[in-house]
Amino acid sequence: MGAPDRDPSSARLVVGVDIGNSTTEACLAAVAPDGSVTYLGAGLTRTTGVKGTPDNTAGALRVVRDVLARAGRRPDEVHTVLLNEATPVISGLAMETITETIITESTMIGHNPTTPGGQGLAVGTTVSIADLAGQPPGDPVVCVVPAEWDFDDVARVVNAAVARGVAVVAAVLAGDDAVLVTNRLDRPVPVVDEVRAVEKVPLGMLAAVEVAAPGRTIRTLSDSYGLASVFGLDPEQTRAVSPVARALTGNRSAVVVRTPSGDVTDRRIPVGELVLRGAGKELRIDVDAGAEAIMATIARLQPLDDVHGEPGTHVGGMLAQVRDTMADVLHDADGSAQPPAEIAIRDVLAVDTFVPAEVRGGLAGEIALENAVALAAMVRTSRSRMQLVADQVSEQLGAWAEIGGVEGEMAVGGALTTPGVDRPVAVLDLGGGSTDAALLTRDGVCTAVHVAGAGELVTKLIDSELALGDREVAEGVKWHPLAKVESFFHLRHEDGTVQFFDQPFPPQVFARVVVLTPDGPVPVETRHGLDHVRRVRRAAKSRVFVVNAVRALRQVAPGADLRALDFVVLLGGSALDFEIPELIADELAPYGIVCGTGNVLGTQGPRTAVATGLVRAHAAASSCPAG
Amino acid sequence: MTTATPDRTVSLRELSPAVRGTRPDEVVIAVSPAFAGHFTKTIVEVPHAEVLRQLLAGIEEQGVGARLVRVRDTADLAAIAHIGAKLSGSGISVGILSRGTTMIHQKDLARLSNLELFPQSPLLDPAVFRMIGSNAAQYAKGESPQPVPTRNDQMARPRWQAKAALLHLKEFECIEAGRGPVEVEAVFELTDAG
Repeated sequence: MGAPDRDPSSARLVVGVDIGNSTTEACLAAVAPDGSVTYLGAGLTRTTGVKGTPDNTAGALRVVRDVLARAGRRPDEVHTVLLNEATPVISGLAMETITETIITESTMIGHNPTTPGGQGLAVGTTVSIADLAGQPPGDPVVCVVPAEWDFDDVARVVNAAVARGVAVVAAVLAGDDAVLVTNRLDRPVPVVDEVRAVEKVPLGMLAAVEVAAPGRTIRTLSDSYGLASVFGLDPEQTRAVSPVARALTGNRSAVVVRTPSGDVTDRRIPVGELVLRGAGKELRIDVDAGAEAIMATIARLQPLDDVHGEPGTHVGGMLAQVRDTMADVLHDADGSAQPPAEIAIRDVLAVDTFVPAEVRGGLAGEIALENAVALAAMVRTSRSRMQLVADQVSEQLGAWAEIGGVEGEMAVGGALTTPGVDRPVAVLDLGGGSTDAALLTRDGVCTAVHVAGAGELVTKLIDSELALGDREVAEGVKWHPLAKVESFFHLRHEDGTVQFFDQPFPPQVFARVVVLTPDGPVPVETRHGLDHVRRVRRAAKSRVFVVNAVRALRQVAPGADLRALDFVVLLGGSALDFEIPELIADELAPYGIVCGTGNVLGTQGPRTAVATGLVRAHAAASSCPAG
Repeated sequence: MTTATPDRTVSLRELSPAVRGTRPDEVVIAVSPAFAGHFTKTIVEVPHAEVLRQLLAGIEEQGVGARLVRVRDTADLAAIAHIGAKLSGSGISVGILSRGTTMIHQKDLARLSNLELFPQSPLLDPAVFRMIGSNAAQYAKGESPQPVPTRNDQMARPRWQAKAALLHLKEFECIEAGRGPVEVEAVFELTDAG
């Protein structure tokens, strides 16, 4: 083992430990009596338990032992362990759908099957295929086919009817048979298939079926005046059917049935009001108004004191749920839980999102993208139990453990070790639960803010917008670039470049959209193409991190003017992301700000800034005992 | 109504020695030595005519072409499917044994690997064969189909193992060693059972 000879025997071994929302990081250094610091190593592990609770001890001990082992030091050599004063910012998330599409009387089928048959627009009366034999020749007919019919039989019956003079102009099928039937018809007609609840299609009604050519979208049924022309509607009725037209936009095929009072409504669900208190005022804002309006209101109430949701509404439930989770985490010093009512929400980030949801009243499992609002809320409490963690760490390691300093200031201290950075410097700590900003002016004055919303919210947005239903997969989509596996030996990256491989890919990734993890490609179970997944991923990151970067920096910038900032250093786990730093840098570039990812100690990247800052602060304090 | 689905029978007319296809929009269906020959039904009595019709329909619905090939010198599903894949212009094949066991294969895969395998022949009904055809065609088009949901029945093995073994033995007897795969044409005939 043996101590390195550079290390004077009088130097004390100090470990800075930063317990964050998702990772616990440590920085090991030898501090000489004159305050000079020799860094010996850094490491990180997953945070155990919720930040600021005694559960953190296990993770803190693990990372300390780990970093000591790698530096070749024994735990009993440690003189002091420094812990961060975790400004206990705890964040919660909630999401609520605010619109709902309802189809009444089965007026519309717009599920966009992948393989409709034939093409063109046809209008006729709906008749079940079972009654086709008895149908008198003459008026145009749209044939409706239940699930148990075989495609050969359908074609035979329709061909027979057409031969008798019945004008079968289109067909609606339950099974996935449209191309098969069309290929067997003597006179091909537009056919829409995979209508699961075909038995609910009203019979004896006028219906229009439209199928566009491959690669195109329908033109008539997705246009209000097109519908009016097809069905001979008056202006009042045209107004009523315009939601139908809107709902069908972008489809390759559609069926619209004209029923006496059928309708498609795009209903706004009453979600309730947010009650915001701050700056001596109280304002109410309807969540329906959308994220932009909510954020504008919050900006008028800085600093925010508390947020409530109107009781008995969705938003009331959302915030109550956030409070309840936090109540479990926050405890008084004596260990008793803090009552939820006493928890003050100090910041909220609202994000507009959409949730793919099955349309109520739909016949074919139509999916509509319903609008939703996601809220990230942040709670601050003075009752951190970090001292308890410090006591336990001290006991287990047999070293002195103390709370070293406020996180924001420490982060700035660590960030200053990045090559090329000077005061005044602002840091943006892009974490899992909150985005923190701190500013150190030329005179050494430090201000710090925390805003709600960070990596966890991005994961949640990706998860719900892509309907993945799996947090792990969403996390993978967030962290890694995408590619499409085109053969067993090559894939196409999201920027279009092709890469060939010597070894074949495993069969389960063949032909799939994958995320390129360090362990190899992992398939993403989605019916969306690569471009769509990429767009959703970038939009989610932009809506959370770019918005929050600007919001947080405005709060610390002198006079809320971003131009007053010179250097911005990005820190935290999300600063390791392959595109978030560039998204933020692009946004900040017009303000003449130097923005980049931190490189703590010139080696550690955006990690361990707080832990390093703790050691630096400790060394500075010990060299001038008065401080 | 007409769903007294008339019984269809199929016979496979041998055309010529099978050659590698050149069209990228084709899927090869490779059948075992005794398929639609010595045997006419799967282990659960699904007529081979219906199996082929549904596989072909699934492929046709996706706008992809299909070619039928009979492999004569082996009764091993992986080998049959892999031979089919190597003959397929798209590199995608569906291999099938007389008892119904089915596999989607790709030419670049190792022989004993596969894209999708449906090992429990007693659980395969016409609807599943349709989905298998549809998925094979989607792979040929370079799309990413969701794998066909495979059912699993713990009792299938004990219940059907003896019959499966007998069927396999019979299939094995139909092997014509040394004879290469042959391209065949499916001739469907309606036999009104009623």
